[in-house]
Amino acid sequence: MKKIHLYTPIFAGLLLMMSSCNFFSLDTPNDPNNPSLGSVSQNASRTQVQNLVTGLESRHRDYLFTVTMLYGTMGRELWYLNASDPRWQTDWLGMNGRQATANMFGYLNTYQQPYFAIRQALTVIDAVNNTNTFTTEEKNAVSGFAKTLMAYQYLIVAMGQYENGIRIDVKDIQNPGPFLPLAESLTQIKRILDEGNTELGGAGTGNFPLRLTSGFTGNGFGTIASLRQLNRAIAARLAVYRQDWQGGLDAVAASFYSATGSLEAGPAHTFGAPPDTFNPLFFVKNANVSTMMVVHPSVLRDTIAGDARVRAKFFRRTAPVSVTSDGTPLAGLYQDNRFALNTSEVKFFRNEELVLIAAEANAQLNRTTEAVAAINRIRTAAGIGNYAGATTKEALIDEILFQRRYSLWAEPWGHRWVDLRRYNRLNAANVDVSIDRGTIFRQLARPQAEINWDEYVKTR
Amino acid sequence: MLKSTYFSMARLIFAAGMWLLTAIAFAQNQVSGTVKSAEGSPIPGTNIVVKGTTIGTTSGADGTYSITLRQNNATLVFSSIGFQSKEVSVGNNSTINVMLVEDVSNLQEVVVTGLASSIKRSNLANAVGTLSAKELMGTTQIQTVDNAFYGKLPGVNMNTNGGAPGGGVSIQLRGISSLVGASQPLYIIDGVYANNGVNRSGRASVTGAGAETQDDASNRISDLNPNDIETVEVLKGPSAAAIYGTRANAGVIIITTKRGSAGKTKVSFAQDYGFATPQRLFGVDNWTEAKINTFFAAARRPIELERFRAANGQTWDYEKYFYGNTAPLSNTRLGISGGNDKTKFFISGALTDEKGIVRRTGFKRYSLRANIDHKLTNDITLSVGSNYINTNSDRGFTGNQNNSGASIGYNIAYVPNYYNLFPDESGRYPDNPYFSENPIAVTDRGINNTNVNRFIQSFNLTANLYKSEKSLLKLVGQGGLDYTQGTTFVYLPEDLQFQRAQGNPGDVIWGKTENVNTNFQTALVYNWNIGKVNLTSQAGAVRLNFREDRLLNRSRGLAGGQTNLRQGTVQEIFDQRFQTITDVGAFVQQEANWDDKIIATAGVRWDKSTLIGDADKFWAFPKASLAINIANFDFVRSSSLSSVFSQIKPRVAYGQTAGVPAFGTTFTPLNSANIGGLLGSVVTTAAGNAAIEPERAGELEFGLDLGLFNNRIQLEATYYDKQTRSNIQNLQLSPAVGISTIPTNLAQLQNRGVELSLGGTIAQKEKFRWSSRVLWWKNDILLTKLGIPAYNSGAFGVTLGTFLYQEGFSPTTIVGTRPARDANDTPAAEGVRTGAYILGNNQPDFQMSWSNEINFFKNFDFNMLWHWKKGGDNINLTEFLWDGGGTSPDWDEDDNGDGVPNGRQRGLAPHNGADRWVQDATYLRLREAALYYTVPTTSLNKWSNNKISRVRVGFSCQNPLTFSKYRGYDPETSTFGLQAVASGVDIAPYPTQRRFFGHLVVEF
Repeated sequence: MKKIHLYTPIFAGLLLMMSSCNFFSLDTPNDPNNPSLGSVSQNASRTQVQNLVTGLESRHRDYLFTVTMLYGTMGRELWYLNASDPRWQTDWLGMNGRQATANMFGYLNTYQQPYFAIRQALTVIDAVNNTNTFTTEEKNAVSGFAKTLMAYQYLIVAMGQYENGIRIDVKDIQNPGPFLPLAESLTQIKRILDEGNTELGGAGTGNFPLRLTSGFTGNGFGTIASLRQLNRAIAARLAVYRQDWQGGLDAVAASFYSATGSLEAGPAHTFGAPPDTFNPLFFVKNANVSTMMVVHPSVLRDTIAGDARVRAKFFRRTAPVSVTSDGTPLAGLYQDNRFALNTSEVKFFRNEELVLIAAEANAQLNRTTEAVAAINRIRTAAGIGNYAGATTKEALIDEILFQRRYSLWAEPWGHRWVDLRRYNRLNAANVDVSIDRGTIFRQLARPQAEINWDEYVKTR
Repeated sequence: MLKSTYFSMARLIFAAGMWLLTAIAFAQNQVSGTVKSAEGSPIPGTNIVVKGTTIGTTSGADGTYSITLRQNNATLVFSSIGFQSKEVSVGNNSTINVMLVEDVSNLQEVVVTGLASSIKRSNLANAVGTLSAKELMGTTQIQTVDNAFYGKLPGVNMNTNGGAPGGGVSIQLRGISSLVGASQPLYIIDGVYANNGVNRSGRASVTGAGAETQDDASNRISDLNPNDIETVEVLKGPSAAAIYGTRANAGVIIITTKRGSAGKTKVSFAQDYGFATPQRLFGVDNWTEAKINTFFAAARRPIELERFRAANGQTWDYEKYFYGNTAPLSNTRLGISGGNDKTKFFISGALTDEKGIVRRTGFKRYSLRANIDHKLTNDITLSVGSNYINTNSDRGFTGNQNNSGASIGYNIAYVPNYYNLFPDESGRYPDNPYFSENPIAVTDRGINNTNVNRFIQSFNLTANLYKSEKSLLKLVGQGGLDYTQGTTFVYLPEDLQFQRAQGNPGDVIWGKTENVNTNFQTALVYNWNIGKVNLTSQAGAVRLNFREDRLLNRSRGLAGGQTNLRQGTVQEIFDQRFQTITDVGAFVQQEANWDDKIIATAGVRWDKSTLIGDADKFWAFPKASLAINIANFDFVRSSSLSSVFSQIKPRVAYGQTAGVPAFGTTFTPLNSANIGGLLGSVVTTAAGNAAIEPERAGELEFGLDLGLFNNRIQLEATYYDKQTRSNIQNLQLSPAVGISTIPTNLAQLQNRGVELSLGGTIAQKEKFRWSSRVLWWKNDILLTKLGIPAYNSGAFGVTLGTFLYQEGFSPTTIVGTRPARDANDTPAAEGVRTGAYILGNNQPDFQMSWSNEINFFKNFDFNMLWHWKKGGDNINLTEFLWDGGGTSPDWDEDDNGDGVPNGRQRGLAPHNGADRWVQDATYLRLREAALYYTVPTTSLNKWSNNKISRVRVGFSCQNPLTFSKYRGYDPETSTFGLQAVASGVDIAPYPTQRRFFGHLVVEF
């Protein structure tokens, strides 16, 4: 009988294990690391919507690095020299006959990041509309703000894709709408922007109901009224792209445009130390590295003597950064001087552009006096004296494009590339590819993943 | 579900009742004797079983045994590993002395196939690979267990991350079973589900290389001391591994460690000293003024010419300086084993101290093990194994990087050898004008350390619940835990060139990762006989828990020379992740063995896992197998065939297994994004799928095993067809919808292959014994269904070579850009829908190995193992980098004499495609070779006064010779660590080494 005592604990242990703790039963786990997307689709709390809106601000800045570098490269405002991976040179510059293909190196971010922001904006709009914790005015404010940033992001994609057109209807992730032609795409972006304007108009007065970062509030964009002005500023940019000159002037008038105020005025993408993100455009001056955004030599070559913008924006290094790719050596002696710190903010829309839009629209409408006045506002600020050239429309447009080149250099938009294309001037006379022996790209290709998706839809 | 619990309870109660009835005694008859080898030495541990029953015993330390018989006309079966088994009819004898003949084949070895049962190899229906301690580590000392598998198992394809100390090996058994994640085999050590994860170190962030997969961290099976291993069994596919269910898709590697045996206590001491040198250096091109004028921009030429002239012919061979060193290697081991009838023990301690060929790199391992087996009663045995391990690896800075310059190979690719980067007399490192960092400073002052403390505890309790003459009911309880605590430390000091160029110079990441795996398994095994048919029934349940908890912190802008996180300007929670996984399973298995003639097995495993969308759903994994030992049938035995064929065994097996989705696949999270002091929630770019299913595989395997001339020649031929379905693939959505991917279960893969093994004893004379084995294997992968749009993925995109995921192709297909040969030469013409040309395939055509064991003059042993991999292409981005820097050894040569140097003229004109970097990685390699001398026992006894029982000395080497046209450091290299696909990408790796050792083993 002694042995039985040994078995007793074994059996007891087994029985306990098998029956007591639901040995075979498992529960579906919750994510221990993150909240779920589903948690905000219905009855989101105020804090949840606040977090989504802050998330939108975060997504809104994610395009910054790649768009600045790639679109800036396309218009030869700059070179992004990177010895670690020659494709930043060979593929982006189109060296050795390379084309902007559907699989082009490193360009997908310029397409994807804006759409990440648009997805975030759609999520914000859904969340705020499906909860009772906000008043109608507050809902309008949040939705109008989201649509304003959405329109800005759509326009980034449209500028990259240009005549390929873009998808506007992207709400249903499994059933995105068709690619619309360029003109139709721009019209749809205008619609979204106008909806945002209307909603902001019905959002009451005073401050935006949720917290925004200092990129907005620190630059005077913390109120409903000022956000509406931002909406109109984007509308002004879009209007001149659509050659709607009067519309452009109307939008400028409703924006934060100031003929006499600081040209720097405008909202910014904010950056900071972790857990925030450092300013990706910041490079330590004179750093002895082989990765650097440098000013394109043609920009330096074409300057007007004494231009304050050149002194302010470009920093002459003691030694050039040089990289050789595909047997073609590139060297940059000037680097970006705009950012004092790796936490400096980056303006994404400035009064200076509004002044230039006013100049352009007025010139196009043959309102020469107004156009020249606006040009002179810019020239005075740059310390290069008043405009003394011809006042024909063509001459004024030449002048305005020249001023845009220096006023808006390397802003996170690729203005030079966009502007030259708008005026059909993307050619060797304006885009100097003699040093890099590259190719002038008119637009980027529709990404391979889009081609794949359309193929997939046919067969699913 | 509840029902099955009550059913098990009912069985237990029934069994307990039956046990009480065994008090009834039969007529008894005592038989005893001694078991000896042909040389006359006693064989302890021999199993002696009354044929057709479960009655048995084992021989003691002096080879003696004693058994009580309850029937007349009994036959005793004597079996011991390494000897041919023998049957003796008892008759009226009360003393039976037996001599066992050494077995040159491995047919008598026992293979663990069920979760609680084992089977003789001669009865096995699967091609289960086994490695003995001798095969694994008997030739030379290999740093990590997985590295010791190279070339020893058919059906295995292996890659190394590189040669950095501390391991890092990817193992693919019978091709690729999963298109996502690591897809590494499941390791089970003495019943414990071992952690083979990779601890994130953050190195890839500090160096800018990219994602976690480029950390070049090693997989944690490298912690295990390979010398502790007694056997390794490799269940290569679902047909053999079905009983392991949801975690077995990539195969199962079952490791059994050494245990003590009854008898005199043995003390074994071993010391190895050796050194390692690089297998191959890439070579560095020299410069001339003409080359400088070709390579550099006009503006740059004057300064380069000035530097060149200033060097005055002096050159610095940086490759040799960094990689060309001789690394000292040392291994010390002490093992003590022994015991008595009741208790046996094996205790081992090992110290591995192996430096790397790169300065300030190396690997240290301290391992302590105690394995104890104790018989509580005649019917209850408890076995425990405890293993504490500390490993410490310094892996240095190699591989990919971006901008930081913190990779030796990447960096020196750009430095012409006329420029001096060495520190001056005062110890100041000059800035590197050719790249963003001085690699000498990084090597001298950077730190990339991983320190792991690990404890593995196993237990196994076997209790005979009921025993009768013809049946035995056993309870087997098994389980254990594997606790791993890893600390990673990556550091670049603030005064390095690249750091000085940062807003916050100095960068340190400290990581702590804790893994706790626990598992518990219980089974009832009932062994019974009907006539000549032996039946084994088993049923049981398993529960597994896996917990991982990691936290990495980063600090930048460091105080001078400081590495404490608080000594930084910018302090950051770099990564935190919690992960808890639970699996449960139940299994039943029935084996039937008709007199070793026909052996059939069938079983089912049911599994659930919290990794699967529906966590509470059981998935069933059936299996069945049949082996027929034709040579055991009387019509063969009595025929003339029996003089030739000792074994003729056709066999067939089918089984199903699964692979679980990665943790998080079911979640669609809102990730955190901080901006301007506010916390944002951003929609993930990778949606989850709450309905995700496991990846399931079914494999049909059949083969033929032949033993010729008393098993002196053995042939094993196997064909398998493994079909996986519900393979997880991320459906790439239209990038316009703002969510990039959703996982789907739509893909299907097919792996078909052949494995051949031909082994034999070529000579078996007293003064010359030579056994040899040739293995040949190949695997063909095909993506039979993708279910989502075809796409390219992996490595660095089409312009440098990537991989194709398209129906009708293998996912090992390398595609990329290349110039068109003519107007009709398009990717579409090759059938590729992703806009890229086919450039190669990483999958080898076949692999072959040849192992030899030669014993001559009785006391000399010579072993060697050759390995040939035919075909399989790599993407050689090391050459891409060196060409870019003008430093590849043939850069300035001009093979076609057109005035353009080779370095600018590889591949098709205009020499801008990815075709330049895809290169055949065929090789023939001498994997291992060794010569040992065992001091003859007689002279030893005389000399040591019988105190020393064995002394063995020898020399060995690993990878001493490689024949390959591949131009990188090693054709086996693979930057992307353990990824299932995207193997064979070579980007400035830590060069792999050849290793040479002297050995001394003394046993007391």
